[in-house]
Order: sequence, then C-alpha cells, then structure tokens
Amino acid sequence: MPMEVLLVEDNPGDVRLTREAFRNTDTYVHLHVASDGVEAMEFLRREGIHAIAPRPDLILLDLNLPRMDGRQVLALIKNDDSLKTIPTVILTTSEAETDVVQSYQLQANCYCSKPMMLEAFESLVQTIDDFWLTKVRLPRQGPD
Amino acid sequence: MSDLKYAALLDAAPDAMVMVDEAGRIALLNVRAEKQFGYGHLELIGQKVKRIIPEGFAERLVADGLRSPVEALAQQMGTGIELIGRRKDGSEFPIEIMLSPRESPEGFLVTAAIRDISVRKEAEEVLRKTLEELRRSNEELGRFAYIASHDLQEPLRMVASYLQLLSKRYKGKLDSDADDFIAFAVDGATRMQQLIQGLLAYSRVATKAKELLAVSSEEALRRALANLRDAMEESGAVVTHDPLPNVLADEVQLLQLFQNLIGNAIKFRRPGVPQVHISAAKCDAGKWTFSVRDNGLGIDSQYFERIFGLFQRLHKREEFAGTGIGLAICRKIVERHGGRITVESRLGQGSTFGFALEGSATR
Repeated sequence: MPMEVLLVEDNPGDVRLTREAFRNTDTYVHLHVASDGVEAMEFLRREGIHAIAPRPDLILLDLNLPRMDGRQVLALIKNDDSLKTIPTVILTTSEAETDVVQSYQLQANCYCSKPMMLEAFESLVQTIDDFWLTKVRLPRQGPD
Repeated sequence: MSDLKYAALLDAAPDAMVMVDEAGRIALLNVRAEKQFGYGHLELIGQKVKRIIPEGFAERLVADGLRSPVEALAQQMGTGIELIGRRKDGSEFPIEIMLSPRESPEGFLVTAAIRDISVRKEAEEVLRKTLEELRRSNEELGRFAYIASHDLQEPLRMVASYLQLLSKRYKGKLDSDADDFIAFAVDGATRMQQLIQGLLAYSRVATKAKELLAVSSEEALRRALANLRDAMEESGAVVTHDPLPNVLADEVQLLQLFQNLIGNAIKFRRPGVPQVHISAAKCDAGKWTFSVRDNGLGIDSQYFERIFGLFQRLHKREEFAGTGIGLAICRKIVERHGGRITVESRLGQGSTFGFALEGSATR
C-alpha cells in the first residue's frame, strides 16, 4: 500500500531531488506535487482536475511559494477541520527564527531546514520517511 | 609707556578682541577685530556688540533664565562658546568666543576673544560627511555580501546536489574520464558552497550582531568545546583552561571566536598529542587579555598579517581542508568588541592567539 505524500514546492530542481531521495527509502511512496499554494489547496480539497486526488498521509510544505505562500497554506490546512489531521512538515531553505516560530504557531507538525549538501538532504528525507511514514501511527481516515 | 605696550600687545593678538560694557556696547576693540568684521575702529566703538555677534553672548548664556548676565558670564569664563559673527557687509561666519569678565571703575566689563573658526567648521563638516559616506558604504557592502551569498546559495545548491547525484549514480558506469570530470566538478561545487557559507558567516558578524551584555566567557568556552567534541576525540586533543572572567560580549560571537581559534589549534597540529590552553589576564582599564595557546604547527612570522585576510590559506587543499575564512571572522568579531587580535608563533613550535575584552563585574 503506497504512502501518499503531497509535496508543495515550486523549484523543479528541488522536486526532483526530493523524488530521488524518496526512491532511496524502503517505503513505497506516491509523491504528488503542487507547485504553489493555490494548486495545493485544490488538491487537498479535491477540486477541479484534482477531483479524484487521494488524501495525503503527509504534506511536505515549502514556505516561499508564488501566488499563495506556504504560510497561508499552512494556516488554511490547520484551520480546516477535515484537513488539519494531516501531518504537515515544513521543508524550506529558510532558517529564519521568525519563520520557525510562526510555523509552529500556525500548528505545523514540525519544521525542517533544507541542508545545502546532497548527502544531508537525502538523510533528512530518510529521517522524515522513518518517522512520519514508518514509525508514527497515522489516522486511518480523515473526518469525511 | 606701559599703556602703549599693552596696546601693542592687544593689536598683535591673533584673535579679535572686544571689550563690552554692562549695556552691551563695545568699549574697546583691536585691529584684528576691525579686520575680521570689516569695520573701521570708530565705526564699532559705542555700538552694541550684537551688531557683530547677533545672538549676543550674555543672552545666550542666560537663556535658561536662571542666571543673571553677570553670573552667566562669570561661570563661562574660559569656555569656548560657538556663535555666529556678522561682518559689515552682512555676511556671517562661525566664531568661537572666550569670555573674561572683570569689574572696573567704569562698571562691569567683559572681554571677548573672538576666533574665526570657518576653516575648522568646514573640516568638521567634511569629516562628518566622509564618516557618514563610510558608514553608508560599509552598511551597503555588508548587505551586499549578505544578499549575494544568500541568493547565490540556491542555484549553487542545485549545481552541487545534481553533480553529487550524478557522481553517486554513474560512477564507474561511464568511462574513467567521465568519473574524473564529475569528481572535479563536484569538488569545485562543494568548495564553492563552503566559500559562500563562509562569506555569509563573515557578513553575519555585522548584520546579526547583538548588544554587548555581561557574559560568562567560561560558559562560552564550555559550549565551544562541546561543539568541537568530535574533532577533539578524533585528534586526541587535550584542552585546558584557567578560570575565565565575565566579560561584556555578544554571547554567540564569543562562542564562535573560541570555536574557531580552538578548532584551528586542533586542526593545524603536529604529530603527538595536541595541547591547547586558554587563559585570561587582567590588564588595565578593566579589560581582560585572553590567550589561546597551542603546541601545533606554528606560523612563519611573514604570514602573521595574511592569515587574518579573507579566504587566505597557507596550506594546500590536499594538506588541510578549509576556506581560509575562520581567522577573518575572528578578527571581525574581536574588532566589533573594540579590540585587536594578535598572534605570536614560532614555526614548528606552536602559536598563541590573543585578544582583549571588556570585563564585566556583574553576571
């Protein structure tokens, strides 16, 4: 049974790196990609072309996105009763303390800074996989 | 006879001299005063001194309303007061006056020595403008360094990551030339990442600077050593220290300073057990001089200045890793704390790095 992961990321280079990093893990992962906040919300709410989108087991969310940025998406997700139970991990290059604090205040499940080096990045994705997709217990279904 | 001598003395004075009576009228003036203000001698005798010094001086001194003109003048004796002087043609120029009041049979008299300080004022203005320019320029450079290194990171991360991915996935699968080419590219990209991170760290010394507060230097040292634990284990280094004082510092930067210096001491070691000792000695004016002494490779004296330069390295990349920015950061931190960083060393025997910090009596 594949784990459904929604990656919200506008940099195609980073998307591919994330995809490749998940390939290294033992978990069978379906990686869905939304390149901005608007698309992410359409996917989560199963609107338009995303009508038959699966409900993600995990959301990886970048903060700096065009159109609607990650902070807004985070707020929308965590204020939506049907979406807030999906673990949302902030995955961003920003190391600013204000971003960290704000993300946790908006109820992000955790905050990860993207490392500069490939090996460290791959290790981070492996850790996210180990924890969120392997070790922790996720709710079977969201409220429907 | 002596009157003539005094008159001659007055007229030889380099400053304009004016004697003013109780009513604020000019009773006496010297040649210099005539020349400075562009009047003939008789044109000014009996005139209000406000003709040549519009603000007057007694008025200025009693502006707070608490003192009488006499009191005010008596108190200001000898002090240089800056005012504006006005010439006959109406043009104005900055002056500095020194007042000497005295009692006389004619009543209360004040002698004012008036100095034209136009040149000095101009020089002060030039200096102020230059300093302002410099401050702006430095600020801009600091921002530029930060923005440049910050914005350069993302594209560089793409280059470095994908080269590393290429290397991992295709090493041994293409021909050996390809392996070499990829290896050189990966190496270059990785070094560039380190350089940019170094540059960012360097620019942060200024941009992320915090207020100087009372800090335990011993605590900062302890945390630096905790960060260096791996390097210490790997090298078998022994680090000792004397009791260290509380100082006025930016805690994070003090930690960085210790970490860089001790990290270097361990890195540039000779065969055998690396030994590092940190001590502090009280020097005058409430300051403490810190020393970080090692028994490492030592530094040739001709390089004593160069080692603190940005991206300056003394060794080949194969011999020692590093961007050559650590000591530049150390120097910037020490200078930010109002001190200078020094080095004493003998090639083959070890080095001692020193810097001074302001002591703090409280914690």
